Amino acid sequence: MSANVLLEFKDAVKRYGDTTVVDGISFTVAPGEFFTLLGPSGCGKTTTLRMIAGLEMPDGGEITLQGRTLAAPARGIYVPIDKRNMGMVFQSYAIWPHLTVFENVAFPLRVRGEPKASLRKRVLDALEVVGLSGYENRGSTELSGGQQQRVALARAIVYTPALLLLDEPLSNLDVKLREQMRLELHALHKRLNLAVVYVTHDQSEALALSDRIAVVNKGKLEQVGTPSEVYEHPLTRFVGDFLGRTIILKGTMHKDGSESIVDIQGAGRVLVNGDAGFGDGTEVRILSRPEDISLLGMGEIVPNQVVGKVEHVAYMGDHLEYTIEAAGRTLILPSGKRDNHPVGASVRLVFDPACVTALSQ
Amino acid sequence: MSTVTIPTPASSWPKMRGFRLAELGVLLFFCIVMALPILFMLIGSFNINPPGQPQVFGFDNWIRAFSDPQTLNALWMSFLFSIVRLIPSLTLAVIVAWLIARTDMPGGNTVEFLCWFAYFVPDFPLTLAWMLLLDPHYGFLNSMAMHLPFVTGPLFNPYSFWGIVFVHLGTGGIWLNVMLLTPVFRRLGASLEEAARVSGANTFTTLWRITFPVLSPMIIAIAVLSFIKGLESFNTELLLGLPARIYVYGTRIYDYLRQEPPAYGEATALGSVFLLVLFFLAFFYRRYLQGKKKFTVVTGSGYSTLRVKLGKWRYVAIGAFITWFLFMMVLPLTFLVIGSFMRRYGFFNISNPFTLSHWQNLFGDPLFIGSLTNSLIIASTTAILGIMIYSIVGYLLASKKLLFPALLEFFCWLPWVIPGILMSLGLLWIFLSTPLRGVLYGTVWGIALALTIHDSPVSTQAFKSAFMQLGPDLEEAARVSGASWRYTYRRILLPLVGPIAATVGMLNFGSALTSISTPVLLYSAESRPLSILLLEYSFTGEIERAAALGLLITFIICVMMLIGRGLGLRLTGPSREEAKPAAN
Repeated sequence: MSANVLLEFKDAVKRYGDTTVVDGISFTVAPGEFFTLLGPSGCGKTTTLRMIAGLEMPDGGEITLQGRTLAAPARGIYVPIDKRNMGMVFQSYAIWPHLTVFENVAFPLRVRGEPKASLRKRVLDALEVVGLSGYENRGSTELSGGQQQRVALARAIVYTPALLLLDEPLSNLDVKLREQMRLELHALHKRLNLAVVYVTHDQSEALALSDRIAVVNKGKLEQVGTPSEVYEHPLTRFVGDFLGRTIILKGTMHKDGSESIVDIQGAGRVLVNGDAGFGDGTEVRILSRPEDISLLGMGEIVPNQVVGKVEHVAYMGDHLEYTIEAAGRTLILPSGKRDNHPVGASVRLVFDPACVTALSQ
Repeated sequence: MSTVTIPTPASSWPKMRGFRLAELGVLLFFCIVMALPILFMLIGSFNINPPGQPQVFGFDNWIRAFSDPQTLNALWMSFLFSIVRLIPSLTLAVIVAWLIARTDMPGGNTVEFLCWFAYFVPDFPLTLAWMLLLDPHYGFLNSMAMHLPFVTGPLFNPYSFWGIVFVHLGTGGIWLNVMLLTPVFRRLGASLEEAARVSGANTFTTLWRITFPVLSPMIIAIAVLSFIKGLESFNTELLLGLPARIYVYGTRIYDYLRQEPPAYGEATALGSVFLLVLFFLAFFYRRYLQGKKKFTVVTGSGYSTLRVKLGKWRYVAIGAFITWFLFMMVLPLTFLVIGSFMRRYGFFNISNPFTLSHWQNLFGDPLFIGSLTNSLIIASTTAILGIMIYSIVGYLLASKKLLFPALLEFFCWLPWVIPGILMSLGLLWIFLSTPLRGVLYGTVWGIALALTIHDSPVSTQAFKSAFMQLGPDLEEAARVSGASWRYTYRRILLPLVGPIAATVGMLNFGSALTSISTPVLLYSAESRPLSILLLEYSFTGEIERAAALGLLITFIICVMMLIGRGLGLRLTGPSREEAKPAAN
């Protein structure tokens, strides 16, 4: 294990009866890293987080934190929840309603036998960090959703945990508050320099906050990478789809020296960066984001352009949305209001080779 | 990604080990205190010798018990009483619940409170009061009736079949049914009735064609529960039935065991037959419930705001209820007060008819002081034991991680079906024939244990639903914060279910104070509780002192319940889910 690994999650498996919820997921988290598990609901991301916390026991694999094995069913090792030194924010916040804000935040310190004098200071510091100074004597039921979440956050960081676990912390907030909290969470992470494992199904949250994203689907890891890697160059169709709208066209790979060119069934040719391991003549699909494709009226067709036909135009207020038929597929592309292509007109779709990924059929 | 998994039994894991241990511990406890007594009773019914002596097996007990026509008659009477009482009780309860929940009858909350109050008034003092009112010799209403023309003899006789049925119109069961049915009527989705009204149905048609049919599974479920509870009824049958030689199976068992020497064999044979019938009933009841699952949809969202306008009938409705309440509750309790202050009850015309001597005698009776102490020890132990055991059981059931959830649920519901006197009979067997004899037989601890077992259905359900409402997050948050399970239980879980725990404790304290059928087979001279003392006073004809004691018990219970209510602890009767015995 290298020095730059804080948490190692290795081949973990979790089953409930006959269903395998987590099916051999492996990843590592570096110190200070903001690591996000992204996926649709029921994909196993929350179970993964709960296995790190010790709330679920894996049926296979190993979990190691700072070189200390937390769980290894094959070797009969299991560190109890309360001995793992984690901080966790639950989706429901789990603020104890019978305790005040102060007592909620003080709980982890009391459990650890913190002396009275420093306890008070540490609680007030934690409340200040989350912007709740002056709220310490409030009853926890008198708080708004956003404030409850701050209390949950203060409770999770008050004792400097080895790892901060966040389970969809923003999903119960309204849209405006969610964006504000997202910014604050980002700032907080930079300030505390804590390693964070963050679970969400919201791709924009994941892209904005994370150092690295692990995309999870059906209990398996689809791809791990920086936000731009997973967004720009998804390794699988699922990752591409899940992270945003995608345009996908079928074609045949042509090798021309070092260049890889995909022939889109006579409608045009698109250059692909790198060779992505496809041989000459392979049937492939190319994938690009709609916003990386521009529309031009008809003219001479050069490489990286594909011909299509406008079938429908929808007025969306700040932009237009074209429904275009190209190479036997129906694509939906946004375009600025200044471009005006009437229904029935032929158009050129201009691809950016830096933003095109080739996938196998 | 390849994975190598080596299957490890979950029980070898430390986290689950404590959990499994708790589950198995609770199951073992229930097996010893519930399954074993029943088994012992079944075996004991074939044992010709009394407990403690070498066992000799044979059918003699069964033959003797059933060659006595009174035994079969007692069984038959139990069913007859329960059925006959059910009809007026359920009809009245449905009407009152409907009035409270679905009409504009004024004072609905007050009516609900009065029912709640009446439910806690113990039945034994009430029965005494009706004796004061209806006794052929000294009953006040009979004396009054004598002044009417053409009346030559006593009009009413409480020591009869119909007398017993009548007295039950004022005791616990009917008020409980109102409390159970009111939320059922309230929860009925508004849209169902509104749709019927929009389709052109009038109020009555809607009620008859939609509301009642839709609610019928719930009403039938409550009917079956109160029928089974009715079979258990003991106190009224004992006070009013014995003088008229009307026996139900409970009083028959009591009679067998009061013989010298006690007829253990016949009592266990009768108990076993009754048990078989009960299980048969419970089995069909569950089959019925399973067939009716489709109906449970009706308690959907959108509470009804549509209330039936009764017009001037609303005053008739509230008037009728208040009259009923005054007649069935206030009148008897008033006469209990009068009776306790009369030199000789019934003699209103003697000079200076009122006296404090019965109260002075009561408080001066050394038996009273001893019984009060015993009762307080028994009731407190029952309350504390109940909170300790059933909070754990409720927690286990709510966690949904059990190996045998159905079995545990079954045990928790068992005492609902098994009458107190039968459970005591089985426990008596255990107490007599095990090393625990010294600790439990004839002691306050034995009685407290029996009462605690009897409290299991409601206590468990209360804790289970409290824990289910809390959800797992609050507990998990404490665990992740570094708290051990025991610390979490003490600092987080117990305070959060505190109100429920207090309610359960108070209910169990109250029922321990008033129960007769459970301690009647288990007490001795040293462990006699107040309720048994009350029974003895009334059997020895000291009805004025019995009235005083009955009032005292009633007073203690009412004060406790009012304090409880003041603290915001409400008895919300078993909800839809809780009203199912041994659900899967």
